[in-house]
Amino acid sequence: MTLALNSFALNRRHLLLAGFSATFISAGAANAATPESKGRKLVVIILRGAMDGMAALPKIDDPDIRAHRASLIDPKAIALSDGFALHSAMPKLAALYQAKQAAFVPAIAGPYRERSHFEAQDLLECGGVKSVSDDGWLNRALQKAPAAYSAVSIGPSQPLILRGASTHTSSWSPPVLPEASDDTLNRLMDLYESDPVLKASLTAAVGAEAVAGSMAGDKSMGGGRGGGPAQYTPQLQAAGKFLAQPDGPEIAVVSLEGWDTHTGQNGALQQRFTALDNGIDALRTQLGDTWKNTAVMAISEFGRTVRVNGGQGTDHGTGGLAILAGGAIKGGRMYGDWPTLKAAALYENRDLTPAVDARSVFKGLLRDQLGWAANDLDSKIFADSAVAKPMGGLV
Amino acid sequence: MTQLQGAIAATRFGMGARPGEIAAASSDARGWLKAQIKASAAAIPDNGLLSTKQVYEARREIQMENGMAPGAPGAPQPVRGQNQQPGQPTEAQRTINQMIQRESREGLQKEVAARGRHAASTDTSFAERWARFWANHFTVAARNAQIIGLVGPFEREAIRPNVFGNFGTLLGASSFHPGMLVYLDAARSIGPTTEAAKRRDAGLNENLAREIMELHTLGVGSGYTQADIIEFAKALTGWTIGGPQTARLAGIRPNAAGNGRQQRALREVAQEMQREAGEAIFVEQLHEPGSRTVLGKTYPGAKGQASAILDDLVMSPATAHHIATKLARHFVADHPPESAIKKIETAWMKSNADLSAVARAVIDLDEAWAEQPVKFKQPEELLISVARATGEDSAFGRDQRAVYQSLAQQPFSAPSPAGWPDDTASWSGADAIKKRLEWANSVSRRMSRAMTPSEFLDRALGPIAGTRTRQAVSRAESAEQGFTLALMSPEFQRR
Repeated sequence: MTLALNSFALNRRHLLLAGFSATFISAGAANAATPESKGRKLVVIILRGAMDGMAALPKIDDPDIRAHRASLIDPKAIALSDGFALHSAMPKLAALYQAKQAAFVPAIAGPYRERSHFEAQDLLECGGVKSVSDDGWLNRALQKAPAAYSAVSIGPSQPLILRGASTHTSSWSPPVLPEASDDTLNRLMDLYESDPVLKASLTAAVGAEAVAGSMAGDKSMGGGRGGGPAQYTPQLQAAGKFLAQPDGPEIAVVSLEGWDTHTGQNGALQQRFTALDNGIDALRTQLGDTWKNTAVMAISEFGRTVRVNGGQGTDHGTGGLAILAGGAIKGGRMYGDWPTLKAAALYENRDLTPAVDARSVFKGLLRDQLGWAANDLDSKIFADSAVAKPMGGLV
Repeated sequence: MTQLQGAIAATRFGMGARPGEIAAASSDARGWLKAQIKASAAAIPDNGLLSTKQVYEARREIQMENGMAPGAPGAPQPVRGQNQQPGQPTEAQRTINQMIQRESREGLQKEVAARGRHAASTDTSFAERWARFWANHFTVAARNAQIIGLVGPFEREAIRPNVFGNFGTLLGASSFHPGMLVYLDAARSIGPTTEAAKRRDAGLNENLAREIMELHTLGVGSGYTQADIIEFAKALTGWTIGGPQTARLAGIRPNAAGNGRQQRALREVAQEMQREAGEAIFVEQLHEPGSRTVLGKTYPGAKGQASAILDDLVMSPATAHHIATKLARHFVADHPPESAIKKIETAWMKSNADLSAVARAVIDLDEAWAEQPVKFKQPEELLISVARATGEDSAFGRDQRAVYQSLAQQPFSAPSPAGWPDDTASWSGADAIKKRLEWANSVSRRMSRAMTPSEFLDRALGPIAGTRTRQAVSRAESAEQGFTLALMSPEFQRR
């Protein structure tokens, strides 16, 4: 296994690395290409705050939907197939669906059945059933990767999904202040020799910067803190830039915040859906040729209540929605089953009952898009997850 | 050894050592900290900062000056959520909203500056850290235009005066403050069977009830259910913010015709509500009538119902455990030993949640006095500790907002009601370290040459600075580089 950085493009900073960390750059590490991946890419988008999947993709032929939430259904939603329609703020995604490059998994949820955002996001990212661990499932996946894959997250803090023992991870956001000199950097590397945490982070930062090289100074790229809808496009563009590099990482993680719509949901979601639609389109453009080998998955920690609440919003629910896009996706179709909105079919008489285990989609994509072994997926990457069989046929 | 105790007191328990502070704290480090346990030590000078009431008055003035009576149909609604339906605002409304927003943003900037200045200069910086811990525990973040003006007043009115009192008082002050009621949507939550709900096609919002149980008291997974949350949310209905809009929501019209006893009473209520603009009030017409059952106990209805539930949440062992764990994580380590949690829990239960007693127990934790600093500083802590050591605010940079933004911790803007994370992994990712280095590199250029980088280490860290760091700093090729290395050293990045 070789260091992620090593597969990144070289620049002046790369030369520094060779000097201080012989452990990373192991013998015969001139890996450069990772043939197993065949240039395939995976983008994981975490929609934080719980997106209302039924507002994004209402099942307009469900006989009960109007009784539950008439005021939350977009009257101009674009009909797709199987009785589903896509919110009209996402016309580009609708076009991708028609071109068979986008698909949806309605009524999806992880194994978690409570309604705390924070616990649910942690479990979504660490891949656990009940208890939260300190490492994320993508990090554990990197430890068991079929080749020297690496991953990058966009934004100033590394999300839990990528934290853990594998150092084939990095994170990036654009510089705001002038950078330190190479000499200072070298001395700091030396100072961190006995500080594994800071050493690993600084190493990965230098590597990411090597890739980002041409992005430095372009503050429109992934600027600012995680932030709201205005950041969706720049963050997704930055992810595209990394993935499209020759020998760039195989996996990118982007967190898009602001989906917790307890009040005034329609206006808030109009803005966010528009930003998400534009963001995915910008990612496609940035990826260029790589788009055809890319699978994008966007998912929230859970869904929202079927019924509208007291403030023209919705509260925390269960079954949500996964959005799949990319040239690698077998699109133009809906995956999974629709549990219906009959009162008796609702989960705890308030939420959409989950029909698909989110881990099945994660495992299906890891296995079929990037070649992970099924037995590692069931045990090491997603502990005790044999019940959630990898969903086949997504790519 | 005592020097080390003083250095730990000033850096781990305090917000960083000011010149001479390590020596001052060294003779009796624990006593030095305990002397700060008093309400006045956690207060912030509020000259020029607005109270909640003044924030609402300022909004009202803007509305009046622009010819829009507050509460009139179509007038901007101070407590409404983001993008509230229905209908689009008129041009005049947009102008007014923009003016209110601009004023709120200016207010927020003043709050950020005052809070930073205070933390950088106070000689009771343990009390400051303690206050910030509770402000983060009861996060009210500047998420949107409606809340921006209230985050500063919330911290100064609900949190700081109560951080060394009983936890129940603090919890009540937080839960019923307009800032929290707006931030977690309770101000718009209406008892579902009330006339007001039927008239408005409005109803319950469970956000505040959920977060009080999950974040502020019991902790997630401690045994409460969705049904408990809904019952508690119903008990909280009626708690909202005074003002003409609330009066309309409740169906109380100040100009109601008629001279019957009932009409007169309604008029009086309406007038009182006008006076109470910007205050947290209980409006019976919005409250879900009847008894509520929460965690197996039944609470009779009306005004005292929510407080009675809060009182029981305070005394629950789950709350003691949840908060003891958070405190131990803050003062000992990301994964604190059970022994430390247990000691805080015991002090909590024995004192009936008296936060002065709890603070003393935290100071007395032997586990918190380990020689090596292990808690990774959050960006705000990092900047404040530089400002304290140098006596300058160059740490904050010329453009404070940009620096905070770059380091991903804008004050008063935690990403969620859970507040800022309090563990190393959340703050030490690759990009975060790179941003800290960029920051250190730019600060070091502006740091006064009145002291050398090695003297900076003496002042800021004393005996905590290790040989490796001292050597690297003293061998630097320039003062600038020396400061950069000192600021980025493992010891200074931690506390």
